[in-house]
Amino acid sequence: MDFLNSILVKPFADMFGAPDFLLQVLWEGLVSGVLYALIALGFVLIYKSSRIFNFAQGIMVVFAALTLVGLHEKGVPALLAVPLTLLVMFILAVAIERVVLRPLVNQPDIILFMATIGITLFLVGFGEIIFGGENKVMITQELHIPTGSFEFEPFGGFVSIEQKDLTAVVGAIVLVAGLLLFLNKSKMGRAIRALGDDHQAALSVGISLSTIWVLVWFIAGVIALATGIVWGARAGVSFALEVIAFKALPVLMLGGLESVLGAIIGGLAIGVLEKLFEIYWGQPLLGGNTETWFAFVFALLVLLFRPQGLFGEKIIERV
Amino acid sequence: MLYRTAGQFKTSYHADHALFPVRQDAILLGFILLLAFVVFPLTASEFTFRAMLIPVLIYALAALGLNILTGYAGQLSLGTGAFMGVGAYACYKLTSIFPELNIVLAIALSGFFSAAVGVAFGLPSLRIKGFYLAIATLAAQFFLVWLFEKWAWLYNYSASGAIQVPNIDMFGVTVAGPNATAIVQYYFVLCVVCLVTWFAINITRGRIGRIWKSVRDMDIAAELVGINLMKAKLSAFAVSSYIVGISGALFVFLWRGAAEPVLFDIPLSFRVLFIAIIGGLGSILGNYLGAILIVALPVVISALPSALGIPIASATVEHLNTMIVGALIIVFLIVEPHGLARFWAIIREKLIMWPFPH
Amino acid sequence: MKNLMKTGVALLLLGTALAPAAWAQDAINVTNLSYRTGPFAATGIPLMNGQRDYMMMLNERDGGVNGVKLNYDECETGYNTEKGAECYEKTKATSIVTQPWSTGITLQVLPKSNVDKIPILAPGYGFSPMTDGKIFQWAFNPPASYWDGASMILKAISDGNLDSLKGKKIALLHLDAPYGKEPIPLLQAYAEKHGFTLLPIPVGLKEMQNQSAQWLQIRRERPDFVLMWGWGAMNAGAVTEAVKTKFPMEKFVGIWWSGHDGDMKSAGEAAKGYRSISWSLPDSNAPVMQDIKKHVVDTGKSLIGEGEFDWVFYQRGVLISMFAVEGIKAAQAHFDTKVVNAEQLRWGLENLKIDEAKLAEIGMTGMIGTFSTACNNHAGHAGGWMMEWDGAKFVKVSDHLEADQDMIAPLVEAEAKKYADANAPWPINEECK
Repeated sequence: MDFLNSILVKPFADMFGAPDFLLQVLWEGLVSGVLYALIALGFVLIYKSSRIFNFAQGIMVVFAALTLVGLHEKGVPALLAVPLTLLVMFILAVAIERVVLRPLVNQPDIILFMATIGITLFLVGFGEIIFGGENKVMITQELHIPTGSFEFEPFGGFVSIEQKDLTAVVGAIVLVAGLLLFLNKSKMGRAIRALGDDHQAALSVGISLSTIWVLVWFIAGVIALATGIVWGARAGVSFALEVIAFKALPVLMLGGLESVLGAIIGGLAIGVLEKLFEIYWGQPLLGGNTETWFAFVFALLVLLFRPQGLFGEKIIERV
Repeated sequence: MLYRTAGQFKTSYHADHALFPVRQDAILLGFILLLAFVVFPLTASEFTFRAMLIPVLIYALAALGLNILTGYAGQLSLGTGAFMGVGAYACYKLTSIFPELNIVLAIALSGFFSAAVGVAFGLPSLRIKGFYLAIATLAAQFFLVWLFEKWAWLYNYSASGAIQVPNIDMFGVTVAGPNATAIVQYYFVLCVVCLVTWFAINITRGRIGRIWKSVRDMDIAAELVGINLMKAKLSAFAVSSYIVGISGALFVFLWRGAAEPVLFDIPLSFRVLFIAIIGGLGSILGNYLGAILIVALPVVISALPSALGIPIASATVEHLNTMIVGALIIVFLIVEPHGLARFWAIIREKLIMWPFPH
Repeated sequence: MKNLMKTGVALLLLGTALAPAAWAQDAINVTNLSYRTGPFAATGIPLMNGQRDYMMMLNERDGGVNGVKLNYDECETGYNTEKGAECYEKTKATSIVTQPWSTGITLQVLPKSNVDKIPILAPGYGFSPMTDGKIFQWAFNPPASYWDGASMILKAISDGNLDSLKGKKIALLHLDAPYGKEPIPLLQAYAEKHGFTLLPIPVGLKEMQNQSAQWLQIRRERPDFVLMWGWGAMNAGAVTEAVKTKFPMEKFVGIWWSGHDGDMKSAGEAAKGYRSISWSLPDSNAPVMQDIKKHVVDTGKSLIGEGEFDWVFYQRGVLISMFAVEGIKAAQAHFDTKVVNAEQLRWGLENLKIDEAKLAEIGMTGMIGTFSTACNNHAGHAGGWMMEWDGAKFVKVSDHLEADQDMIAPLVEAEAKKYADANAPWPINEECK
């Protein structure tokens, strides 16, 4: 009885006992959720257009952030460093398309997946040689990202909202809106979607596979830079950031590998739920640190009912 | 020339199905076994044993387990490291609860624990496929490693949360723990690996193996011809996790000597996956070739500069090493996506044909 | 199969060829299992640089130790236990000391040290019960163990009166790895004795940079103090979150590995008031540091970055190399030989005497407390100071603190015995001459 009470009643009593704290938890969850969604978005774009499960998205985040900070350290003004970093990401996209993807066209999924892990390892080694392994500080101020915090006092408690987190959320919304607009309205965007729907049909109407691939990897690079700036502002830039790529995987499972909307909703849902679970169930009952696995287990349970994720394309199998 | 098959006639179906339809294969295998059992132990230094020979064998065994699941039954798994951990912790608990238990028996039994856990986490495979399943196995990976951290009973409540292998004797010889000599451990691992490989070759050639392959190639078609998918998939998870569990127990008991939970984290899973894929999915031989490449090569690379007298910081070597391994993976995937095993198969074909081009 | 064989033979030949070649006899090999890569590189690099530069300086200035060159070498582990074990195997034939640099690697090599007879030098880290030299004959953790650190921190936050902690709540924010769990047994013993509540809050390796859940927990639990056993990217993450949560900095105290200038830089002004215990004090004007500047840094042989010379961690690296060098000196004098071997160094490390005269002689006055090791005391218990972050650097804010050995000694004995029992048969040096 005590046990049931501690699982079913007490957590909710805690939530309503300290509503300001609950709000803070929700906000923190939401901010992590936005970041997860951004990384997942990079995955989805590439998967949609090329059926490649791009494991390298995580290291691309680190690489983009390091390039930005590294360039600034070399004396490049911050606002110039951003376009320069984008140029580097573009070169990276071209290189990946030329060297890795082109020879591997039409290989089974798992081979392409392994190739992206190869890219990850390569970039880890390459990045450490160039930038060194030290922790770097994100150039938050130079990029004119506000650093203060807003404070509210609802229900007699207090909730603090970091301005840079707020900037992150707003930035992410703008980025996603722009991306959706691009995918739905522009010619290139439609070509990407066409390629996602049917490779051969897209090729036959004259869409260039290699151009689109470079474009998609470049967009993934842009998203990586945005993620890197936001996450770097929270916790510094180092190779330890790479592990956040894993956080995007359950988001993909939940949202579906092909769905942009799914990535966003999945990301937010997982961000909020894992935080709630950790604070109200994980820490009091399970010794904490449940965030490492909660998202995976949750997504797994959802998948048992919907094997293609919440928003994924229905899998139709023929013999 | 070396591989001339002329004059080797098969007069019965039985002979045609033999493990070595070509005599030279058998001779070659004999030669390799001779090398492994006699030549290496006589020549290798302790460093070679501990940093190359033993790990290559253990990693190859883990990859073999994964290969049965991924290469033969077509179920992609990213949770190998955690299943190795289950084997290792099971073996640790078995030896600490029953100190009198023979170490061979303890290792063999610990495989059953990881098989059970493997089956439990294999259940979703009945509904989930492809990358979704791969990510689902990550649930096992992260959950189990977390459990190794939190469940103090597993590591006998030691303050550091790590497990230490005590000295374990078998027939008066110390085989595990700090006092064990490298050569004894090498022989122990070699024997286990040979035994499991023999078992794996036969199971994959037999009825069960063919069922797995049919599920891999197209599960719906397999179901239509009367194969019980549930049985097929779960048996693949069970056999695979059993082998992986054994390799995990060997990993800690015969090689590392101590382990902390983070050892079984995702990098280990990826490493084993690399070996299986670079070596060749759906092949037994490939696991050994892959293990040699992925495990031994970095050791050689990192030792090269100092051996050649090139003054270069060890950190830079390590960075270069990571880069080279990454690049090598890509190169191998481009050159031969079916792995080193296929590479060898092509060479063998050529040798049989030689000197004629076709 | 043929490929396998060919590659195998090739690798084997290469492997045997690469097996450590015999070094020239007029040098002493000191290998460091360094980590300049990986998620902990940020904290590792200045320490490694300090260690390297001290040895280089001795070679440049004095031509080594009593005329014998020091061959400082690194084997990169990336803080990865598996790589560490490999490095140990690789270097054990040549190096006279193992410096494992991670509690995980220390635990791996600890059982082997008895067999291979190579001393392990783990200054200020490793397994706290290693202090007990009777059981851990080959392992050394001068000048203080983590338990010393925990005891000193408690003293500092209670102003010397531990009973004033009664009824208080102390959170331990720690890395969820053997290192982070080190202080828990001692803190628990203290909690029982002095009636405060201990709340361990683990931070997983994947959460190091995103500790919002941990800090939400801290906000909910409202502990009176937060102690931190953090490392690498975790330190910076924790300080940033603490600033965000508005946790009062003066109630936030870290162990010596959480007092790294590089980590604090990202929080800057906001982290003012954060304290960390330290067994070393940086002093850029000390003769030894000036010599390093003259012989190594100014000649462009050092690898340090801008400002790194003044960092706590760089200068601590120098001190760590000093332990090894003093051990070598002691062994040279005792065995009347130039090139000491591993077994002789063990004696040397067991008979370290770092007193004021010695510190003055090597130009390190004031950089570290005095201590001496003995057969049954492999830590030396030098004590330490509280350092406070003033927004730009760490400054000393307390008098010299000493750990409470009455509390620690029984625990050391019990834990060491537990370790020996679990690993029986374990050689124990009962007489301890």
